Amino acid sequence: MSDSAFSFLGRTLRRRSFLRVAGATAASSALVLAGCGSDDTETPTPTTPGTLTFSNDNLGLLNYVYLLEQLEAAFYQKVVSSFPLDFTAADRAAFIDLRDHEVIHRETLKFALGSNAYDANAGTNALVFNFTSLALTSRNEVYAAARTLEDVGVAAYNGVAKLLQVAPDGSHLTYLKLLVKLASVEARHAAFVRDQVQASSFADADVVTATGVLAGLDIVKTPVEVTALIAKYVPVTLVATSLPTI
Amino acid sequence: MNLFKIISELEKVDPEVMDRLTHRRSALSALGDISKKMALAAAPIAIGSAFNKAMGQNNLTSVNDVLNYALLLERLEYAFYDQALKATTLTAPLTGVARTAIETIRAHELAHVTLLTSALGSAAAPAPANFNFGTAFATYQSFLTFAQAFEDLGVRAYKGQATTIKTAGNPNNVLQTALQIHSVEARHAAHIRYMRRGATAGNQTTIMPWIVNAEANGAPAPVYGAGNPAATFPAENNIMQGGLTLTTGIGATYDPADVSAAFDEGLDNTTVTNIARSTVTF
Repeated sequence: MSDSAFSFLGRTLRRRSFLRVAGATAASSALVLAGCGSDDTETPTPTTPGTLTFSNDNLGLLNYVYLLEQLEAAFYQKVVSSFPLDFTAADRAAFIDLRDHEVIHRETLKFALGSNAYDANAGTNALVFNFTSLALTSRNEVYAAARTLEDVGVAAYNGVAKLLQVAPDGSHLTYLKLLVKLASVEARHAAFVRDQVQASSFADADVVTATGVLAGLDIVKTPVEVTALIAKYVPVTLVATSLPTI
Repeated sequence: MNLFKIISELEKVDPEVMDRLTHRRSALSALGDISKKMALAAAPIAIGSAFNKAMGQNNLTSVNDVLNYALLLERLEYAFYDQALKATTLTAPLTGVARTAIETIRAHELAHVTLLTSALGSAAAPAPANFNFGTAFATYQSFLTFAQAFEDLGVRAYKGQATTIKTAGNPNNVLQTALQIHSVEARHAAHIRYMRRGATAGNQTTIMPWIVNAEANGAPAPVYGAGNPAATFPAENNIMQGGLTLTTGIGATYDPADVSAAFDEGLDNTTVTNIARSTVTF
């Protein structure tokens, strides 16, 4: 790791400074997310509602992207562990690919963040995503759910790159290079799952603007918009208002 | 294949090309490792990549440079789809949802041309008089093969400029706009790749919407190859990110095919332009 371009990510001493927990259950909630400290006498449960506040810097942005990749990987893992009965062999193969891509994204970001990952010390208390709001019993339902998540992913990546704050050591360019390498793969995923829901809907007007001055441009969303969209899948309150906005 | 014609074409772009290549033969010897299986159509491109070893790299420094480069690529793509939709050779196979999809893609490319032209204003470079795609439209299969090449190349081209735009200060949200185009090109690429699985396109059911290793599926190999410098612009079969070998370096073992497919790689503008000029006359 020491020879990795990502290694400087592990250097900062303000570890988990972006993880702040609000409310009466602050102490225990913090430990749910950050792992149990040795001086902890309570036994927090993962179901304790907490708050995940992303910090106003590049680490906050990277953690935001990391959370998105965790969510996508968890979704595909859930599908792969119990395929819909009407999934074809080709569907299964594609979803295994999708799962593998997202797991690799997640693990790459996790490794890059090192001790700065919001859940670096969470251990077995890592976030468990909640997909109960999604109907996942049929092929169409699964592809439609994947479409929703992938389009959010594309919008998130399109919105996050410009927010990277210029760093004297040029690290913002390292992050940018990594994020854009992921971004187009998410767009490929999105196009594929959209086509499976509805033939040739890979770039329909609901994602790629068809008319006006923004014609030909893909969907874009701010971290605040994205966190609102994914809130129902995440067992803690996400606060993206502290993230850079320009 | 007329090598001397290609060199003279390159001289039009880069008058110093012959100074860079001390001898024309050095371009030929650099081609020694070309697989015999390589499609003949790709041979001129391989020569382009041989030249890249001498000349490739990003040399765009201003945002307007980047936008004019993007504009040229978008004009090329628009011309490609426009000619395809008008090609009599494709009238029969390019029907129904396939034609609708290509019309959608053409509309997006035209919108990109319009947007970039508008953003550049008086700084917009003049459009080439004509784009000649040679035999690209001969068959439905050849058309889709070229389409895949252009879309995947477009994705790599935009990605390769992200840091240039960021370093230039991202005026007027150019970075975000460029990425919003970049992801549209990736959607196009994924769809075109999937179209190639169809019966009329040759039943190529091994082609995925994403790029596995550096598989070209009959498209010119350099579209998926390394740029210059290769350390900055590795080939699409790259399995290293941030100095880490991801197949073994992040806690578990992952298949190189999956790792390579999980990341798309950027390409420098010289390599992109040379590939384009090796395939298209403009």
